[in-house]
Amino acid sequence: MADKYPINLWVNEERYDKLQKAGLADMCEEMLAGLKVIRVYADDAQKDKILKVFPTAKFDASTTKSIELLPRDVKDKIFDKVIEKQNIDIMNDFLGDY
Amino acid sequence: MAEIGHGGKKIVERILEPKEAAKKIKGLTEIPIRSQIANEVIDLAYGWFTPLQGFMGKADADAVCRSTQLADGTVWSIPIIFDMTESEISEYGIKEGGTVLLTYQDNPMAIFEIDEIWDYNMEDMCNCIYGTAEQKHPGVVRTCGYKEKFLGGKITLVNRPTINPPYGPYFIPPLEMRKKFKEKAWQAVVVHQTRNVPHTGHEWLMKGAWAQAYGGLPIKEPLCGVLVNAIIGAKRKGDYIDEAIILCQDELRKSGYFGDHNHLTSLTFWDMRYAGPKEAVFHACIRVNLGLTHHMYGRDHAGVGDYYDPYEAHELLQSIPREKLNITPVYSMNWLYCPHCGEITSEGLCSHKKEWQKFSGTLIRSIVQDGVKPPRLIFRPEVFDLVMECAEKYGFGSPFVTDEYLENRTPVFSIPPLGA
Repeated sequence: MADKYPINLWVNEERYDKLQKAGLADMCEEMLAGLKVIRVYADDAQKDKILKVFPTAKFDASTTKSIELLPRDVKDKIFDKVIEKQNIDIMNDFLGDY
Repeated sequence: MAEIGHGGKKIVERILEPKEAAKKIKGLTEIPIRSQIANEVIDLAYGWFTPLQGFMGKADADAVCRSTQLADGTVWSIPIIFDMTESEISEYGIKEGGTVLLTYQDNPMAIFEIDEIWDYNMEDMCNCIYGTAEQKHPGVVRTCGYKEKFLGGKITLVNRPTINPPYGPYFIPPLEMRKKFKEKAWQAVVVHQTRNVPHTGHEWLMKGAWAQAYGGLPIKEPLCGVLVNAIIGAKRKGDYIDEAIILCQDELRKSGYFGDHNHLTSLTFWDMRYAGPKEAVFHACIRVNLGLTHHMYGRDHAGVGDYYDPYEAHELLQSIPREKLNITPVYSMNWLYCPHCGEITSEGLCSHKKEWQKFSGTLIRSIVQDGVKPPRLIFRPEVFDLVMECAEKYGFGSPFVTDEYLENRTPVFSIPPLGA
């Protein structure tokens, strides 16, 4: 199976409200002592594109194997895409804009 | 009584009093320096770099590259060098045997007695220090960015830096630091090297190392401390701002997760080279000078990307005899959250491996960046609140380094007019 790299969309109250209104609150997982998160996944090629398009982003290769430090507005766009599609499989769609 | 530093050499502050300084600098050619060199001038003058008394000549730099030691055999792993172009040397009329005045922020900073003008193959230096000459490595970029000639010779500070708020209490040079340790009656002190705002993984690294360093000492009175020694130097966009790092580290003590009896926060001026194992040895040398007995090393200490094996620094440290590097390394395993245990635990202790929730500084930064307050088991609420306060007070709205911060931040230190 190809490697998949998560992007963690940490869920604050504002995001949780949006999820509840869309009937998607059960998409949240619990991580780190109960912190709510939605995880969307990128494959190898998508990971490389993300790191190229958003130079502040970092792949945490040593500890979490996740893509971190995307700008807040970019995370918001990914989150909005999840709400719009009611699905976490949105990465192709999202990267199509870049 | 003399304080003995790294290499068995006495720690001496090379600093002139203002009256004498005013006389000595008269008529000297003035040479402005950049922030990296100003940081190193302070380190040299206050004894952080003992036994070095100035910038290296070729014999020392070459010995550091070839055999991780100075020409006299003292362990040393990073060249401390002063660069200039050939045309600058000619323009300023610099000659071996001459003396110049280094200025910073347009004010006199230090006298530089130039013994030697030399050059070196920088690709060779990079391969020796970083194990690579790839331009992707940030240390290589810095080293290959040096101008083509080097000046070696003694440095004497003529003007003490003014340490700007909020850093003042954390600037504790080696001789003062050793006094503090004596006042606290600490017989063992372990250093936590950091460039981060602490999450509970860091907190437990310190607590674990404190217990290791405490060892067989009696427990009737507190005899062991943790020194947080933050590296303050060049910043990269996206790093935590310096004010947040230093104040939040101290917040762990102020909020009672540690106490005055076992915790102290301080800083060292240094632009990281990301030289992994070689930088680990260098950190040990400067911490010997600060009076530390133990030094924490985690995975991939001072590394970058995948240039170094996570435990390469440990192997290099283990290969150096104790009589050559008088500090005990404390090797630390990662700490993580285990939902089964319901607590932060060490990967060396807990067996619920499938349930482990690992977290890193990068992950926590990502949470903070998303505007989310992490649970207190992961990030102390007092630390989170202070990060946000620092963002407003010092970071132009962000706890992370931005272009605006780089352009408009208050410098950590200033060099005032002489005699001011």
